[in-house]
Amino acid sequence: MPRAFNLAIARLWLLRWLLAPLLSLGALPASAVGIELDRALSVQSDALHFPEDEAAVDVALPDDWAVSRRRAEGPVWYRMRFPSPASIGDDDLLAFYIKRACTNLEVHLNGHRIYSGGRMSEPVTRNCYYPQLVLVPQALLRGGSNVLDVKVVGKPLHSVSARQRSGGLSAVVFGHHAELAPYHDKRLFWSITLPSMVGAAMLVLSLLMLAMGWLNRRESHLTYFGLMALGWAVLSTRLWLREAPVPGEVIEWLVCAIVPLVAACAVLFLLRYAGLVQRAIDMALLVQCAMVPASLALAGPDRVFVLANAWYVLLAAEVLIAAWVYLWFAWRAHRKEFWIMVVLMSLVSLIVVIELAVQHGKLSVRGIHVLHFVVPVTFIAVGLRLMQVYAKALGAAEAGRSTLETRVAEITADIERNFAQLAEMRVEQVTARERKRIAADLHDDLGAKLLTIVHTSESDRISTLAREALEEMRLSVRGLTGKPVRLADALGDWRAEVMSRLGQAGIWAEWTSPAEEPPQTLPARAYVQTTRILREAISNIIKHSGASRCTVTGAVKRSDFVLTIQDNGNGIPMELDGQLDRGHGMASMKHRAKQLQGQCLVESGPGYGTVIRLTLPL
Amino acid sequence: MNTILLLEDLPEIRAWLKTLVLQVFPQAHVSEAARVHDALELVSAVRFDLALIDLGLPDGSGVDVVARLRETQPEAQSVVVTIHDDDEHLFPALQAGAFGYILKEQARDLIIEQLQRIGSGEPPLSPSIARRVIAYFAAQAKPQAHAMPHVSLTERESEVLLRVAKGFTLPEIGVQLSLSRHTIADYVKQIYRKLNVSSRAEAALEAQRLGLFRR
Repeated sequence: MPRAFNLAIARLWLLRWLLAPLLSLGALPASAVGIELDRALSVQSDALHFPEDEAAVDVALPDDWAVSRRRAEGPVWYRMRFPSPASIGDDDLLAFYIKRACTNLEVHLNGHRIYSGGRMSEPVTRNCYYPQLVLVPQALLRGGSNVLDVKVVGKPLHSVSARQRSGGLSAVVFGHHAELAPYHDKRLFWSITLPSMVGAAMLVLSLLMLAMGWLNRRESHLTYFGLMALGWAVLSTRLWLREAPVPGEVIEWLVCAIVPLVAACAVLFLLRYAGLVQRAIDMALLVQCAMVPASLALAGPDRVFVLANAWYVLLAAEVLIAAWVYLWFAWRAHRKEFWIMVVLMSLVSLIVVIELAVQHGKLSVRGIHVLHFVVPVTFIAVGLRLMQVYAKALGAAEAGRSTLETRVAEITADIERNFAQLAEMRVEQVTARERKRIAADLHDDLGAKLLTIVHTSESDRISTLAREALEEMRLSVRGLTGKPVRLADALGDWRAEVMSRLGQAGIWAEWTSPAEEPPQTLPARAYVQTTRILREAISNIIKHSGASRCTVTGAVKRSDFVLTIQDNGNGIPMELDGQLDRGHGMASMKHRAKQLQGQCLVESGPGYGTVIRLTLPL
Repeated sequence: MNTILLLEDLPEIRAWLKTLVLQVFPQAHVSEAARVHDALELVSAVRFDLALIDLGLPDGSGVDVVARLRETQPEAQSVVVTIHDDDEHLFPALQAGAFGYILKEQARDLIIEQLQRIGSGEPPLSPSIARRVIAYFAAQAKPQAHAMPHVSLTERESEVLLRVAKGFTLPEIGVQLSLSRHTIADYVKQIYRKLNVSSRAEAALEAQRLGLFRR
């Protein structure tokens, strides 16, 4: 809050700095550098020259028609007399500086027309806001007294909507052009150039806001702010647009028609920004926008000022109430911009009140109409704030969007992962079911047939082959069913088989395996193949070796599993190697070991027995 | 072993088995059946001392016959005679009340020896079956697993199972525990019995639960 307050103070200071030159305008009048002609003979006449024969009235300048001739329609001729300056060089450039001549003027010096501000009949050139600097042809100056006639065309107060545009003539200052020009330029800058620049800025701001509002339909306050700024920019053309193709009445009517639109937009902006939507208010404002120009048209050109200013008071009250409503909501919602808005709106309210007081003749302010640029400046400040909020919201939305994107990406990855897992599980399920089916088929069909052969064959050899085939089949099926086998379990199975078979064969057997249960597992295939190799080796020992002792050792060495089968039998005679084992024999043992990326070494010598060493990577 | 049931669908194998059975138990009367339906009829009519039951049969599984025998003739000793050596096939049969199993393709003298052992009250038990039994009772012992009091193994029984699982033969275990061959065999029988009792209780509970669920 203090930061916002400081900001507000800074803006106030800026405003004061902006206003400083205006105040100095009043403090140092142009008369200080020349002769001020502040009295004139005036005659209401449309003659081409000052009507010498008509009764002239002596008036003080500035002559404000709203005060001095309330119903005067003009034109009015003014006659001023002034002495020639004591010493004029041939190169001196002299001029009349006329701060204000409304609506337009024509200047005659010693009976010669020396200047015209533009068209003197409808549509009259609109010079109310333009200061005039009239060059004096030195040749026309007379030695003694000179006569300056000024013809002013203008509107009575009752037929214009603002006091600034009612007819009148300010005092005329006669002096050196070089000294008067800065005053003229300064006033031109403050009353025309700056407001039109501000108007242009407002136009840009309004287009920006309208674009923002168009992009964000839900943020309708942006649109209303844009429309308000646009309306203001259009209104500001009345300051600098001199040559309009329509008569002054139409211009006044247009101005009066646009003001309620701007006010309506301001009210709607404030309410929408506060978060209020009331269809009834919207409708009422719409009706009002139609009623203002309609009532003016109906009332006729003689009641423009009264009616327009009555409306203006009402409109100002509406905007003021809307501002209070907005501030109330901003306070309740702890909005950051509350204090800035308080300051800005107080400022605008103050200026509007002052302006209304001026219009109603309650207050007389010389100089420039602060309304023309202080209000736009506050508009721009509010606009900047809106843009800041918008940019922040945009940033937040962008951040939200990127967070959302990340979340979506994460969830998508999750879903994909889950899906992949599900698919994998499904594949596993189907595979397992299929394996079981194949296993069951093999057992029921092939198994039964082999079994029949085993038990019905007359030939021992055929019976043995069939039994071996059946064992092979069963091991294959187990290989198919795929679960890894704990090495400790495998050692248990092997031990039981080896000890039981050797025991039945009457061979003394010794089994050695790690005292601690090894934590490793064997792939199903490795278990099956190792079982086959071991079974083959034991069969060989029982059938062919003639051994009386057999030692089997299972050990884990680094990352290898080593199975050693040693007997004290006859050994394998070299020339018979490979023929000793019917069926698969040594060659198939080695082949199986190779399939498992392991190796099977056979050491044998007559009388030394046989050592089979199987090494498998774990 | 006076009355023996032989359930086997392959005629040649059935004939062959019968000769083996008669060789071991010459005095016995062997009733033969090729289908589950016939076997169940026989069970309801005849009291058996021993039943040799095949698992995969044309009209169902031999497990049903094992279960019926266990229910109606608890004294009868069921032995599964099968071509399946994997415990996924064998375990349900053991839970249903079988006392061990014989693999059909084994050599004649090996089967004769096993039949003799069964006759003398020494049911076979392989390491993989022992491991399954251990796992089964370990799951039963979990406090939240069942609302009813569970059947548990004694320390000795567990000890025997553990040793079988490690690949020790029953005579070896007898030597290690300084127990007679008979005592070890009794432990094994007791283990089979408990497996059946526990699984029947579990089945009953399951049925009850399903009934409740259906209601």
